[in-house]
Amino acid sequence: MSSESRIARISAAWYLAVSGGLALIFFFITTFNNYPAVARYGGAIWVFILTMIITMPIVIPLVKKKYE
Amino acid sequence: MESSITLTVTGMICAACVAHVEKALKNLSGVTQAKVNLATGRVVVEYDSQKTAVSDMVKAITDVGFQVFERADAQSELDREQKAREEEIRKQRRNMWLTWPLGLVAMIGTMRHMWGLDKIIPAFMADNYFLMVITTPVIVFGGWQFFVHSWRGLRRGVTDMNLLYATGIGASYLIAVINTLWPEAGFGGRHATFYEAAALLTAFIILGRYLEALTRGRTSEAIRKLMSLKPKVARVIRDDRELELPADEVDIGDLIIVRPGESIPVDGTVTDGYSAVDESMITGESIPVEKKEGDGVIGGTINKTGTFKFKATKVGKDTALAQIISLVETAQASKAPIQKLADFVAGHFIMGVHILSLIVFFFWFFVGYDIWFMPESRFLLSTGMLGAIGVFGFSMLLSLTVLVISCPCALGLATPSAMMAGSGKGAENGILFKGAEAIETTAKLDTIIFDKTGTLTRGEPSVTDVSPAGEWNPDDLLHLAAVAEKNSEHPLGEAIVNGAREKGFEVEDADSFEAIPGHGIAAQVKGRQLLLGNRRLMQTRNIDFTGHLAKVEYLESMGKTVMFMAVDGSFAGLIAVADTLKESSVEAIRHLRYTGIRVGMLTGDNRRTAEAIASQAGIDYVVAEVLPEDKADEIIRLQQQGHKVAMVGDGINDAPALAQADVGIAIGGGTDVAKETGDIILIRGDLRDVVSAIEVGRATMNKVKQNLWWAFGYNLLGIPIAAGILYPFTGWLVSPQLAGLFMALSSFSVTMNTLTLRGFVPTLKKQYAA
Repeated sequence: MSSESRIARISAAWYLAVSGGLALIFFFITTFNNYPAVARYGGAIWVFILTMIITMPIVIPLVKKKYE
Repeated sequence: MESSITLTVTGMICAACVAHVEKALKNLSGVTQAKVNLATGRVVVEYDSQKTAVSDMVKAITDVGFQVFERADAQSELDREQKAREEEIRKQRRNMWLTWPLGLVAMIGTMRHMWGLDKIIPAFMADNYFLMVITTPVIVFGGWQFFVHSWRGLRRGVTDMNLLYATGIGASYLIAVINTLWPEAGFGGRHATFYEAAALLTAFIILGRYLEALTRGRTSEAIRKLMSLKPKVARVIRDDRELELPADEVDIGDLIIVRPGESIPVDGTVTDGYSAVDESMITGESIPVEKKEGDGVIGGTINKTGTFKFKATKVGKDTALAQIISLVETAQASKAPIQKLADFVAGHFIMGVHILSLIVFFFWFFVGYDIWFMPESRFLLSTGMLGAIGVFGFSMLLSLTVLVISCPCALGLATPSAMMAGSGKGAENGILFKGAEAIETTAKLDTIIFDKTGTLTRGEPSVTDVSPAGEWNPDDLLHLAAVAEKNSEHPLGEAIVNGAREKGFEVEDADSFEAIPGHGIAAQVKGRQLLLGNRRLMQTRNIDFTGHLAKVEYLESMGKTVMFMAVDGSFAGLIAVADTLKESSVEAIRHLRYTGIRVGMLTGDNRRTAEAIASQAGIDYVVAEVLPEDKADEIIRLQQQGHKVAMVGDGINDAPALAQADVGIAIGGGTDVAKETGDIILIRGDLRDVVSAIEVGRATMNKVKQNLWWAFGYNLLGIPIAAGILYPFTGWLVSPQLAGLFMALSSFSVTMNTLTLRGFVPTLKKQYAA
């Protein structure tokens, strides 16, 4: 495995975990207030997308710095 | 080994891209400085060539998603830039032909339920499936570029404006499709599809790109204008034959003939002939300059009247025009200190906006919707009600409107576009700013110190007074003195000869001439014995001038050198010679003082002469008898008092002070050392250009400040409104398509505001034109 794809995989693991984690937290919180299913699922997806966009540019350079 | 290279980077669209490229370069070991100019796509890198190679830089820039080329000569760069711009214009124009008609049809269809339009607009146009069919190509063909660019960037950990566009367009389109296929999903149902939002948002962003591509190139017009001055051919005389050669093939020492109406191909010195040359394109001087044997000519200027021959002295990269182009290019690629804040904000902007978008979503989802949502509320400039839109649809709409309305492009363009226009405007007026920092500091100047000799004054003596004794008249006395001095090589003698010639006298040869070292000369003219020299000469020859001592003292108190003249053993009169003020000096100083700038003079000359010149020029702050190194100390002293000081000078002895000053202004006709040390070069050597330089600096900085205020103000105002801050009080909501329009207009308006600088004319130039 080339160093570039290794970095990509490690980075992806991190930002997907963080984004997925935050989306799950959102989904969990919304169970307490009778939100419709579409709001819960749709909201979780939107939170996941935005969090991924936020974390990708943070995580990738950090991982690059560590492994290069 | 310290080296510097200029690269051209393509694909940068906003200040975030600038930050990515700079960061990628600075992360390389050995790179000490990396400055990116968004407006020109130019990157200047200073680096240690033993630690890093150009290929490393190319890889680093390519890795963050941009294309990079090693910078070619100015002409090729302009061609490449123009080609890329034309390609972008073509591409976005093609996209506009697709997105605008379909977007407008989508808008008309969506409006069918309003204002009784159902009588005019056919029902099928309002059908959600029809709207989906016409919006899909808009997103797929028009908006695809944003998805591709943002995904490429994200894969490398880089975010830019494309990501904001892609999330905005993608999310609004997705909501519309969900509401069409699954109307019960809770996004507002069939009547809240917002297809027109997705389509018009795409159309507006493309319109913004199109307008930006149209206007961006205009800020580099100065370089283009200068390049167009480069003559293509030269008529060179070789082996007594006149050859028409490309101007690039002219060698130093070649004899060139120039006929009326032709461009002068290279720099040189006139050897034969007489003419008037239009130098306005280089020096800004509107009146043609007379050229005769021995005068210098500048390549790129235009011969107006006569035919003349000249010897090439500078060719290729060494010509004045080539150096001016290079200086303007460097200035346009440099970065002003004021840009740092904008760069910092813009560099973190995209991520900040996404974080804010997430916060807005959370706020309206968990808090705002339950408290403030009103089903009858509508978007600004829209009649459609939000109706049954659910908590998720409402929160997401606000969240994505925040993404769409924010615009780091305006922040990124605010400073460099104005700096480019300002340095171009300077070049147009014969003022070369060596960098953006020079423009910025010039605008802040409150004190200007002039060197005396060669700067305020002509730098060569000329006759100022002729005071005859007895029955002599001034003209006869001057004429006679000139004949006597004709063979003299002394500067004072030359001044007398020039003075007589300027009065129209023909200066014949003397019958005999004898130089008396340390005293003056003795000559025989038309059978009369002449003595011309200093006081001691008169004393040694027992010539009585005591009756004229008061006059002598008066002239000397004015800083003039007085020469005594005797004819046939009797005192005949006095001729005073002095280095005189340039015509432009008094006017320049009056204007500077009028604009509130303190004006001073530094000179190595004696106090009496210095004060005489200063009082004629209208300068009240004089430091005389200073050594070159003390000139710099005087500048430091003023700076320590809190002044922003400019030094204007022309000589080698001015170099330390030019370097020490906040802005060093070198006179074009001065020494190379002065020109290399100065931050600004005045091509003409006319001090009125100091006034113009300050005006250009101030006008440019006004534009920068207006642009920054607009760019920051737009984002500071637009983002909170898009986030729904006014909704609880006024019910106002910004739709994604309106946000798209605002965003497109913000960077367009910054560029348009900058372009108004093209109409700027310095006050003195305006006065002369009037």
